[in-house]
Amino acid sequence: MAVPRSRIVDLLRVQCRIFNTTFNPDRLRLGTKILSQRLRGPAVASYYPPRIGTTQDLRKLYPEYDVVDEEEDDWIEKLKVAKLKGKNPPKKKRTAGESKKFGKRRS
Amino acid sequence: MSQFRAKRLDIGCFVNVRNLRDHNKRKVFAQFEPERQALRYIIHNTTLPQRVCAQAQLQLSQMHCYTRFTQVKNRCIMGGKGRGIMSDFRMGRFQFRLNALSGNIPGVRKASW
Repeated sequence: MAVPRSRIVDLLRVQCRIFNTTFNPDRLRLGTKILSQRLRGPAVASYYPPRIGTTQDLRKLYPEYDVVDEEEDDWIEKLKVAKLKGKNPPKKKRTAGESKKFGKRRS
Repeated sequence: MSQFRAKRLDIGCFVNVRNLRDHNKRKVFAQFEPERQALRYIIHNTTLPQRVCAQAQLQLSQMHCYTRFTQVKNRCIMGGKGRGIMSDFRMGRFQFRLNALSGNIPGVRKASW
């Protein structure tokens, strides 16, 4: 027994309402496949473990405490010693005139 | 590409330039994924005018290559290797063996029968 098309379309409409899909009896290509795809960005971006528990994080979290980082202290000490010896990094050149490179080019 | 690089180191695993680059790609992909999907939807929808589709195709093809998922590669988080990675453990085969034998991976034990 042949079922009339209008009945089938009605069934499709109810089906789409129940399962929350797009009613598309003409079978047009509407791209709903892409809209229903899940975004995988967050899962992809969290592949590498985040860097946590650094001294800076601790200082930001607990500003009332004095967080001691021995490696950082050693580094600052080394920089101080270098400065006393005159081995510190040179001051940043702010203008073209101060810069040695451009001075050479002009003469 | 340097415009996507984080100002501060933000991964806590093994760090080399290839791991960092892959991490950058992953972040860029996550950022631009909705835009890419929207353009893909416009392209796949045949009821829209053809001009709109063509514009969307052009726009999608002109997006940066880091926004593409094919750029992303699973790398070993313990040693930075790019081949022989077990994606469930995010480790290369040898690092997986070492860590599994030393009991660092829960639920994994050496087979014996």
